[in-house]
Amino acid sequence: MERVVNSLRVRLISVVLIILAALAPLLYLGVSAIVEAGYAERFVNSVRAYSRLAADELETLDPSDFDRRARALLDSIELSGQAVFAEISDGSRKLHSTIGSPVPTQPMEDDFNFGDHGDQVYYISHTVKRPERTVVLQLGFDETPTLEQIRAAKRQLLIAMAVFAVTSLALATWLSAVIARPMVRLQEAAKRVAGGDVHAPLQMQSSIREIHELNHHLERMRQELVGTNEQLSLEIRERKASDQKRLALERRLLHRERIAAIGTLAGGVAHEFNNIMTPILLYAQLALESTPPDSELSKDLSRVVAAAHRARNLVTRILTFSREMDSPQVGAFSAEVPVAEALALLRAIVPTNIEIVFNAPQQEIRVQGDPSLVQQIVMNLGTNAYQAMRDSGGKLGVSLRLAEPAEGIQQEGGYCVLEVTDSGHGIEPALLAHIFEPFFTTREVGEGTGLGLSVVHGIVESMGGEIVAESQPTRGTTFKVYLPLAEQRVEAVAGV
Amino acid sequence: MACVLVVDDEPDIGDVIRRVLERAGFETTVTHSAAAALAAIEVRTPDVIITDIIMPKTNGVDLIKKVRAEHPRVRVIAISGGGSFGPLTYKPDAISTHAFLAAARDAGADDVLTKPFDLSELLAAIRRQLPN
Repeated sequence: MERVVNSLRVRLISVVLIILAALAPLLYLGVSAIVEAGYAERFVNSVRAYSRLAADELETLDPSDFDRRARALLDSIELSGQAVFAEISDGSRKLHSTIGSPVPTQPMEDDFNFGDHGDQVYYISHTVKRPERTVVLQLGFDETPTLEQIRAAKRQLLIAMAVFAVTSLALATWLSAVIARPMVRLQEAAKRVAGGDVHAPLQMQSSIREIHELNHHLERMRQELVGTNEQLSLEIRERKASDQKRLALERRLLHRERIAAIGTLAGGVAHEFNNIMTPILLYAQLALESTPPDSELSKDLSRVVAAAHRARNLVTRILTFSREMDSPQVGAFSAEVPVAEALALLRAIVPTNIEIVFNAPQQEIRVQGDPSLVQQIVMNLGTNAYQAMRDSGGKLGVSLRLAEPAEGIQQEGGYCVLEVTDSGHGIEPALLAHIFEPFFTTREVGEGTGLGLSVVHGIVESMGGEIVAESQPTRGTTFKVYLPLAEQRVEAVAGV
Repeated sequence: MACVLVVDDEPDIGDVIRRVLERAGFETTVTHSAAAALAAIEVRTPDVIITDIIMPKTNGVDLIKKVRAEHPRVRVIAISGGGSFGPLTYKPDAISTHAFLAAARDAGADDVLTKPFDLSELLAAIRRQLPN
C-alpha cells in the first residue's frame, strides 16, 4: 500500500518538477534577455542623445579660441559624469579634457551594440562639420552601472522563479495528497475486503467525479461479491446438511433392509414351522385322548402338547415381528393410555428393588394405530429394562413427550418420543447394532427368546415410526421410540 | 352322518385331520390337491370342505371360488400356516398368510383357522358350520 501511495504522490510531484525543470530555464533566459535588451536600449538611447547634444554644441562653438573652448566643452562633458572618455580630433591632432582622464593609447573603435568589445565602455563618434574644418568628436560612456542594474534585475528574477518553484511544489504536494487520500481509503477498504471483512461499505467520499464513480462501481461490485459469497456459503451449508441427511438415511435404510430380510426369513420359516407343528399337535392330542389319564404316557403326551403350544406362541411372536397381525385396530388414540396400562402390568411383575417412574406428557399426544401394540412396546422394553437391572436394582424411567423438530428422526411431520431408560448393565457397543435382530439374545438359554426387541422393532416400523437405542455399559440403556402423531398421518393419507 | 372333505398337500396333515374327524364321527375324505378335491366333490358332495390355502397348481382360494360357484350350500373352512412369502415385511401389499386368509374369506370361506390349531378348535369350527 505504501509503495502505491508513494508512487502516486511522487508521480504527481515529479510531473510538476519536470514541468518546472523544462520551463524555468527557458523562462529565465527569455525574461533576462528581454530585461537586458531593455536596459541596453535605454543606455544606448541615452548616450546617443547626449553625444548628439555634445556634437551640436561642438558644431556651434565660436571659432575664436577654438582649442580652449573645445577643451572647456570636453571638461564639462567629463565633469557631468556622463562620459568617461572625450576626444576631439581633426585628423592631425587630438584634443583632450584638461581634467586629465586616462587617455587610451590606441584609438577606440566605436561600439555598435551595448557591451561590444568587452571593455565596459561604450564608444561613440560624431563627425562635426564646422565652417573652417571637419572634426570628429569621440565619447566613451561607462557601461558598468547598467551592467550592475542588469545583474540586479536577473537576481530578482531568479528569486521570483525560486519562489514560484517552491510554491508550485508545495501546491503539487498538497494536491497529490488530496487526490491520493481517497485512493488510500479505497486501498484500505480493498485490503479489508481481501482480508475477509466484506461487510464494511467502502465509504470513499471524494469530490473528484472519477473517484466518486469508481467508488460507486467498486461498492456495487463489493455488494455483489457479498451477495454471491453469502449465497455460496449458504449453498455449501445446505449441501453439507443434505449430505449428512443422506448418509443418515442410507444408514437407516441399510439397517431397515437387514431387519426386513431377517423378518422375511423368519416369516417364511414360520409358515413351514406351522405346517410341521400341525400334525405334531394334533397327533399328540389324538394319542392323549386314547391314553388312560394319570398314566406316564398321558403325562408325556401332555408335555408334547404343552411344548407344541409354546412353539405356537413363539411363532406368533415371530410373526408379530414380520407384521403378521390379525386385523389390527386402526384409529387415533391417546398414547398415554396404553403406556400407563403397560406400566401398571409391569409394576405387578417387577420386584420392589426396581423403581418405575413415568413422566406423563404435558398435553394429550394422539397417535394412529392399535393401542395394544403400544402396550406391547412398553411391555417388551420394560421387561428388557427390568432384566438388565434384576440383580442390581435401579430405576426404570418411562417418558412420553413431543419430539423436537431437530431430534433424531429426519422425516416430515410431527412425532412423539416414548423413552424407556434403565440404570442397568447397559449394552456393549459391538452388540448394540444387532439388538433388533430376531433371536439375538445375551441371556442364558431358557431365559428369553431374543424376540422381544425385534417384535418392538416390527411394531414401530409398522406404525411408521423409528426406534433408536443408546447405551453406556454399566450405566444403562435408553430406548427412544419415535411415533408419528395422528394428525400428521391423517393429513398424509388425505393428501394421497 | 355329516360328510367332510379335507384338502391339503401335506399328507401328514390330511391324515391327522381325518383321524380326528373320524374319531369324532364324521365321514371324511382326504385329497392332496384342488383337482382331486373337485373330482371328489363330483362323486359325493360334502357338507363341509376344509382346505389349505397354499398349495401347488390350483391354490385354496381358487378352489373355494369354484366350490362357491357350483355348490353354494357347501360350507368351507380355510386353513393355513401363519407366515409370509417373499419380501413383504414392510410392504403394505405384501402377500402373507393373513392376506391369503383374507382372500379366502373374500372368495367365500365361512371360517378360517390358522395352523397349528388344537383338536378342539378344529372340531368346534366344523360343528359351527353344521346345523345342530
